[in-house]
Amino acid sequence: MILSSGEQTRRKLLSLAGRSFLFAVTSAAALAVLAIIFFIARDALPFFRASGVGEFFFSKAWYPAHEPPQFGAAAIFAGSFLVTGAAVVLAVPPGIFAALCMSDILPFKVSQVLKPVIEMLAAIPSVVYGFFALTVVAPFLQDSGRWLPGNIEIVSGVNALTASVILGVMALPTIVSVSEDALQAAGRELREGSYALGATRAETLVNVVIPASMSGICSAVLLGIMRALGETMVVWMASGNAAQIPKPWYNLLQPVRTLTATIAGDMGEADQMTGSAHYHVLFAMGFCLLLFSFVCNLAGEWMVARQRKRLRGG
Amino acid sequence: MRMLTRKILDRAFTAGGYLAVALMTLFLLWVLVPIFVKGAGAYVFVGTVEYRRMMLGEFGRGNEQRVAAEWAEVQRAREPVYEAIAAFERELPALPVARRKELKPAFQAVREGVAVLLGPAPGKPLPALTRMIYGQTRWRQAQDKAANILFEETWDYSGNGSQKVHVPRQPLFEGTALAPVFPLLRKELRSLLRPRLTFYPRFLTDPSIDAHFFGGIGPEVLGTVYLALGAMLIAVPLGIVAAVYFQEYAREGPVLTFLRSCVNTLAGVPSVVFGLFGLAFFINTLHVSPGKSVLAGALTLALLVLPTVIRSSEEAIAAVPRAYKEGALALGAGQWRTVLTVILPAALPGILTGIVISMGRAAGETAPVVFTAAVSVGKWVTPSEVLSQPTPALSWNLYNLCTEHEAVEEIRHVQYGMAATLVLIVLALNLAAILIRARVAKRLKV
Amino acid sequence: MRVSLFVAGLVAGCAVAQAQDKLVLDGSTTVGPIAKAFAESYMRQNPGVNITVSESGSGNGAKALLNGTCGIANLSRDLKGTERKAMEEKGVKPVAHVVAYDALPVIVHPSNRVKGLTIEQIRNIFTGAIRNWKEVGGEDRAIVVISRDTNSGTFETFKELVLGKEAKIVESAEYTGSNGGIRQRVQMTKGAIGYAGLGFVDRSVKSLEINGVAPSVETVLDKTYPISRELFMFTNGEPAPESLAGTFIGMSRSEKGREIIGEIGFVPVPPKQ
Repeated sequence: MILSSGEQTRRKLLSLAGRSFLFAVTSAAALAVLAIIFFIARDALPFFRASGVGEFFFSKAWYPAHEPPQFGAAAIFAGSFLVTGAAVVLAVPPGIFAALCMSDILPFKVSQVLKPVIEMLAAIPSVVYGFFALTVVAPFLQDSGRWLPGNIEIVSGVNALTASVILGVMALPTIVSVSEDALQAAGRELREGSYALGATRAETLVNVVIPASMSGICSAVLLGIMRALGETMVVWMASGNAAQIPKPWYNLLQPVRTLTATIAGDMGEADQMTGSAHYHVLFAMGFCLLLFSFVCNLAGEWMVARQRKRLRGG
Repeated sequence: MRMLTRKILDRAFTAGGYLAVALMTLFLLWVLVPIFVKGAGAYVFVGTVEYRRMMLGEFGRGNEQRVAAEWAEVQRAREPVYEAIAAFERELPALPVARRKELKPAFQAVREGVAVLLGPAPGKPLPALTRMIYGQTRWRQAQDKAANILFEETWDYSGNGSQKVHVPRQPLFEGTALAPVFPLLRKELRSLLRPRLTFYPRFLTDPSIDAHFFGGIGPEVLGTVYLALGAMLIAVPLGIVAAVYFQEYAREGPVLTFLRSCVNTLAGVPSVVFGLFGLAFFINTLHVSPGKSVLAGALTLALLVLPTVIRSSEEAIAAVPRAYKEGALALGAGQWRTVLTVILPAALPGILTGIVISMGRAAGETAPVVFTAAVSVGKWVTPSEVLSQPTPALSWNLYNLCTEHEAVEEIRHVQYGMAATLVLIVLALNLAAILIRARVAKRLKV
Repeated sequence: MRVSLFVAGLVAGCAVAQAQDKLVLDGSTTVGPIAKAFAESYMRQNPGVNITVSESGSGNGAKALLNGTCGIANLSRDLKGTERKAMEEKGVKPVAHVVAYDALPVIVHPSNRVKGLTIEQIRNIFTGAIRNWKEVGGEDRAIVVISRDTNSGTFETFKELVLGKEAKIVESAEYTGSNGGIRQRVQMTKGAIGYAGLGFVDRSVKSLEINGVAPSVETVLDKTYPISRELFMFTNGEPAPESLAGTFIGMSRSEKGREIIGEIGFVPVPPKQ
């Protein structure tokens, strides 16, 4: 079929128009994130311009309502990292073990049945987790001090540990499913080669499969970190919100305050209309959170790409 | 020997795997079981005659004659209680000063306790708040309140640590006209309140009365449905278009990499930041509505779920066998037509799975709607008002009730009911996704 | 038969697009219960009226009034100078209506043997100079300080009346976002001390005598209880007495409204001031 040249141009134009439309809509969707960054940055900048970065990042004195206010967010950053770190430490070993179990140990049918369990853990809304932390976990933890060796008195059930446990559970589904994908992507040949050399299953997994899927597992952990770092309602309800660095710093039984909880808690009452420093400092925190998730994301993508390349090459 | 160690290590490793999976499952049960068991208490419980009076008075439900007859019997059973109180009131001024001083506060506590348990005494003016017009509507709480009358809860500070002690009030009033009240409350509580197993399925659809003391969670459920549907209405077209572009049209290059990075970053933005953005952009800059509204909340939630919709749609499109596409192209269909008539229909179940899961996510999010859509008290929002009216929503109101309410303990059952309902909605959506996926897997196999 | 309101809600709105009387309230979580109870009572008597109440904080309430997104802003503190100035620049004329009085009882766990404290002692506890209950006559137990968020109206009142301008709250203090949250934390925690609005305090916690005066309706009204405050509803301009906002705020002076305020646990404003 030969089209007249006019018809051809028409088709080309139509196709171009369609393509541009798709591109425009996609860009709009993708650029939403730039709009978010722009709006957050626009309100964060006045704070950095007025107060600089020194106090914000290095001072522990968080007295936003004082005259003059002090906006030392070091303890809040520390709180965010402590809670996130503890959550990841709690969630990574069981997460990777569960992923191994589902990809290599359990029969296919059983692991298919387990998938909904993971999906349910991921689906439960964060406010329900927060409610659970407040009504079940916190009283339980407070009582459990008696049963521990040394009869430790747990002064307050709402503390870094409670928040970390729940955050760990919330990060678990991400860690399990992403690392399971990575483990499966390592392929049969690798495993069969190892078995052929006489290795046991544990040896195969530890010496061959895990190293081969290391970057996938790392990106799973990164995604888990992002999930825990960005979570709001649970830390707001269950971390205690004390702007302090626990003493000693690893004492999870003390209350801490996180970035997300500070934003959620202070924004409602902040003196917004006049653009006070307190209003802008919250946006500065939001901006830092955005930066973290941006960096984590880039790192994760880079690792996935590396793994893909290696598997293709090797 | 070395073989044995290796074998033991291998076994231990396997056990570790099982343990991790078991741990995960156990934790899921630890969360879900209390929420569902206690949440069921909002729908099924032992209700008292006060509950039936409240339902008749506030909702016009129940058999009027039967409730009236029951109420008459209950009032007869309660007469001795009120008579004893009245008699003691007359007796009190005649008592010696020391005794009077000792008894008066305790008597006041008893009288107030009886009003809380059974409702205002007959002949007294009705209180302004609905929660005080009726006595205890739930048998479990009624028993607690009765115990509060029978025993004074105090703390003994004399020992080393302080101990909670329950001091019976009866001995204090021995020999006075009030004494008969105590055995009545202890032994005849059933005839005073008539507990009966009650089903209240309309908890799901009834509006709340007096700050959730009575009634259900209907407006919250409706608000959650609006927000989730609205978010999907906005996110789905955008998401599918973007997925088609990424999968079928885009050429590898820096622009594509950049757009992809943007979408991935959007997925990592903390939910509270979405809330900040929604307030700053949709309400204060674009003025989509005069204040908080369902629309503003849905727009914010749409952004939040957009990356999930894009990703799952992309996966679904990528999973469509190449042969379909090549067949269509070979038959002379243009790229447009191939996408619209072959690829999208084939990918639809996969896309639906993503949509349904994202909808669950939108229904459960709290932080993004706090500043954009959610209110603690509001009427039913009608579809014509979604553009301008804010709405209550399950997620926010659960937070509100379990932290900000003035009587958190009294309405635990409502909180659990809300949590269970919210989880149930989300899990039902996920179940739908699982079923759709199972059908797709079957179809692809054939 | 009563068709389920749920379905009615979905369907009716499409057909009936009548102009409803609308009133939006936003602001303090402390004033929230009063606003909620008023709204429900009002809507019950006037079914055609739609009133929504948000509890997003005093600051947010002021902002909503400035932006015109609410008709009445609930505040548990007076407007700040900066807020007033911003409103004047935008042509908003804030008018304060005192709807109730509130005390801030200082609350502890009921197992705590301490009966009362002086303002000075409370200040020292909240600033970290006193860290153990035995220093104020209690048992040997670490004090857990629990506070409202640093920019809630409740916190500002407490700071102004108890801590003073210069004092800084001890850094280990826990913060919660609501009055109910504080009570819940105190009731769960043996060593805790906190403060909450009078309406939020029940028998699950113990409120302390301050300088020998226990918080109650009487001590708030005769001003012997030192930590008490006024609760406000702000409008843009004086509302016409027969308007929706006018009658709504007027409830706080009516017999029924005062009864509601009392039953919730706050102190009603005397009918004639």
